Amino acid sequence: MKEMKISFDKYSLIIDGRRVFIRSGAFHYFRTPGEKMAKDRFLKMKAGGYNAVDIYFNWNYHSAREGEYDFSGIKDVRKVLKAAKDAGLYVIARPGPFINAEVNAGGLPFWLLRKGDVIPRNRIGTSYKYSPVYMKYVAQWYDNIIPIINEFDNVILFQIENEYATDTMEEEYMRELYKMARDRGVTCPIFHNDAYFAGLWADCVDIYALDLYPYINPNQNWKKDNFCFDTLDNVEDIFRGAKEDSPPFIAEMQAGWFDKWDGQGYKHMREALGFEHINIMTKTALSQGVTLFNHYMAAGGTNWADLACDEVYTSYEFCSPIDEFGIMQDNYFKAKEINYFLESFDFTKTEPKDFDFYQDNIYVKMRHDLNNNCDWLFIRNMTDSSENTSLVLPDGKNISLSPCDMKICPVNLKLKGCEIEFSDVEIFARLQNEIEDAVFFIADKNANIYLKDGTIITGDKSDYEHISFESESGKTQFVFLTKKLADRSWLLGDRIIFNADYVLPNGAIALENSSEIAYFDLKNKFAKKTYIIRGEKSSTDPVLADIANIEFCSPEIDPDYDYSGWEKVKDKTDSLSCSLYDEFVWYKAQIPKAIDSFTINARHLFAVYINGKEVLNRNSYKIEQLQDIPETISVYLSDKMLDKPNNELTILVQNLGFDKGFSGDTNNPRGLVLFQTTPEVPIEFKVCEKLSIERSKKYESENPYLTKITSYFDVNFDNNAFFAKYVSFKDFNYKRATIFLNGVKIGRYIKRAHVQDKFYLINEFLKPHNKLDVVIWEKDRNIKTPWDFKSDIKNVKIIIGTQKLYKLFK
Amino acid sequence: MAVVPEFLIKRIYQKGSLKKLEDGVSLVLKNVLGPGLISGFNFVKINDVLFEPKDVKFVTNGVEYSGTEVSEANPVVFRLGQIGTLIMKGKDCIVEGLNKITIEAMNPEAGKVQLSVDDMKMF
Repeated sequence: MKEMKISFDKYSLIIDGRRVFIRSGAFHYFRTPGEKMAKDRFLKMKAGGYNAVDIYFNWNYHSAREGEYDFSGIKDVRKVLKAAKDAGLYVIARPGPFINAEVNAGGLPFWLLRKGDVIPRNRIGTSYKYSPVYMKYVAQWYDNIIPIINEFDNVILFQIENEYATDTMEEEYMRELYKMARDRGVTCPIFHNDAYFAGLWADCVDIYALDLYPYINPNQNWKKDNFCFDTLDNVEDIFRGAKEDSPPFIAEMQAGWFDKWDGQGYKHMREALGFEHINIMTKTALSQGVTLFNHYMAAGGTNWADLACDEVYTSYEFCSPIDEFGIMQDNYFKAKEINYFLESFDFTKTEPKDFDFYQDNIYVKMRHDLNNNCDWLFIRNMTDSSENTSLVLPDGKNISLSPCDMKICPVNLKLKGCEIEFSDVEIFARLQNEIEDAVFFIADKNANIYLKDGTIITGDKSDYEHISFESESGKTQFVFLTKKLADRSWLLGDRIIFNADYVLPNGAIALENSSEIAYFDLKNKFAKKTYIIRGEKSSTDPVLADIANIEFCSPEIDPDYDYSGWEKVKDKTDSLSCSLYDEFVWYKAQIPKAIDSFTINARHLFAVYINGKEVLNRNSYKIEQLQDIPETISVYLSDKMLDKPNNELTILVQNLGFDKGFSGDTNNPRGLVLFQTTPEVPIEFKVCEKLSIERSKKYESENPYLTKITSYFDVNFDNNAFFAKYVSFKDFNYKRATIFLNGVKIGRYIKRAHVQDKFYLINEFLKPHNKLDVVIWEKDRNIKTPWDFKSDIKNVKIIIGTQKLYKLFK
Repeated sequence: MAVVPEFLIKRIYQKGSLKKLEDGVSLVLKNVLGPGLISGFNFVKINDVLFEPKDVKFVTNGVEYSGTEVSEANPVVFRLGQIGTLIMKGKDCIVEGLNKITIEAMNPEAGKVQLSVDDMKMF
């Protein structure tokens, strides 16, 4: 393996002696499982002009039990890293140990959290407390993951910890992590991502980096409250103040945001962010001299199995440029535009330059480009208006900017056949060789290109309109594209392909409908070819799933259920103390007749059954608009409920995940946290995890509390197509369900006002013939008789559909 | 637990700004952390004297906000670099020597944010 030489200076990263602008996007292999899906997302990232991928390595995902590390099958990170390399992407490796990422326990293994002498992250609350035992286990994780990362020569940066801070900021932990990485052969620059943009840990790492998320409150209207960009607007000063000689690096630059259980839903957030947010974020970062950025996220994912922390639901769509289904969204096309521009002009060495201009709600910044020997003027309009805003630059040029728009305008840019004095018609891309270049502009009727010779060219152009120039230095052609066509235009090395839904780096053209594709390169200029899509459009129409089978599936609740083989609870009943980390944990015990009431605290959703009958069913999920709701409640029991000398108590607890560990502690208890009777009697609980359908083939029960409905569907696999399928619960009458695709848990449905009712049928788990199981956990009050319930369930509407289908032409 | 570490929150207080007024006390805050909103003032405590929202005023950018009028529905914009003065009415609470100051405010994203600092006062 040829090792790359990676160095840096105050401007940029330098790889093998060449300055490289890092245009990275985050991807979670654990949320987009399998090599095939990783490949698909990486190729789409590369197609969108990204040249790097940021990968968190999730310790918990690989280590279910102490001493065990699983890097096989869909957990094979070598295949993920190889897919990134094959796609031509550099890798930013982020193996934690803590990663946050809204994953269960922030990526720390459950077995670690239960160890009494381990202080996760050497932190209790925000107080620092060094734990040698924790560091011993971190070393074990690094011993397993770093050698794999080191096998790949495209890894350019390595992160230690994640958004870490304590009240007193002792450096011992960070310095030890740094040394551990170096001792294990990490040779690339090491960084940390400071979430507080306060210069934290700058002295403990090679490159200072920070995270920036101006929009974290879905109720906020960032277009009105434009003060949210205050930090970004001053970020160059923060970087220079923190570490003078390292390049400005935004390790997490907002490209979306996660939605929560009680959130507004991804649809709302996508509409709120629009394509304008990523445009402003990225261009403002460029105006501040940033030469390494990482869009967090570039590709959304799915919290299948038990990946999620308690805050988030199944979809981790994140409003990212490539959504959970692998479909490019509006912000992808805006990111592509900027990435292509950066691919066309080397932006790795710029300096701020004075520019005397002020107008309310207008951000202006000028930079001198030492590589291209020109200037770039960055202009942003945050005027709260539906109309365009006009401004007059000091040299008298008029500019009209639409609301929430930001432009990068070349100033004194020398091309082969002409020189641009100024242009507020934005550049999409440039192709060039030694004697000629072609500059592709995004047509804009309110903007102009001013040439040095006095010519003014209006941006009011239609698709493919072009103008040619010639000078002593060579030839230049301006080609205009409307925004619509620019979104469908793909830069592929020395050519551009137009009018395709997307084009992969290997040249494969993806089309939803028949299209006339155009090609341009400097040698052959324009060429055209028509691609016809055959087949019926109706093949993608949603269909109602046929319900093949309905079974009651919670034998644990039946009074005569034999649980003698279950583990006995030794001390505390919470799931960590019992080493039970699954989403579902069952507790069973016998309680005497002489009990008046019980007091219970369980996280998060739970139900209590006595002698096979439900006496309580509750959602104690706590994070509801930052308000505390009482978690501990008492329930009075009537003689009718306890009608035997020894009564069978069953408790089912659904743990929505452990705390992600950003502001709370990862080891906050889950499962049954407290159970006390009045009068107090000792209770011997036995425990077991998972639903019975996951544990054994015998799961039929007499009681109707958990019901499994099964349907079957077929998928037509076609190597020359990309498809994404979903199951929709839009017209579903029940409150809670767990969804299994071919035996793999792919989603949790909990009825909420805004959140998810459409679930991704993850391609990795799809087969030609598929089995979909939906386990409904319903409250007692809707059930008259088990038979009525079964017959009611027959009317359940589950819809299976195709989100998108693209034909691939190679 | 606060999202932001205590040592960073402490930076918001302008050292030496605690002042005795004719009818109360004042102190100055400067947002050095990042742009944000204040969606409530829960209390200000100076030494052993507690000021409820009704006794607190916040003056910033020339606008005076009563502690009771600031809420999630009516937050105060507190931009990066912005300065604001907290005025507590009615009670004399500054002592010569070390003064203990605690301010608890609300932020829509972080929830409760508590700032606890000591400031030396010599008469």
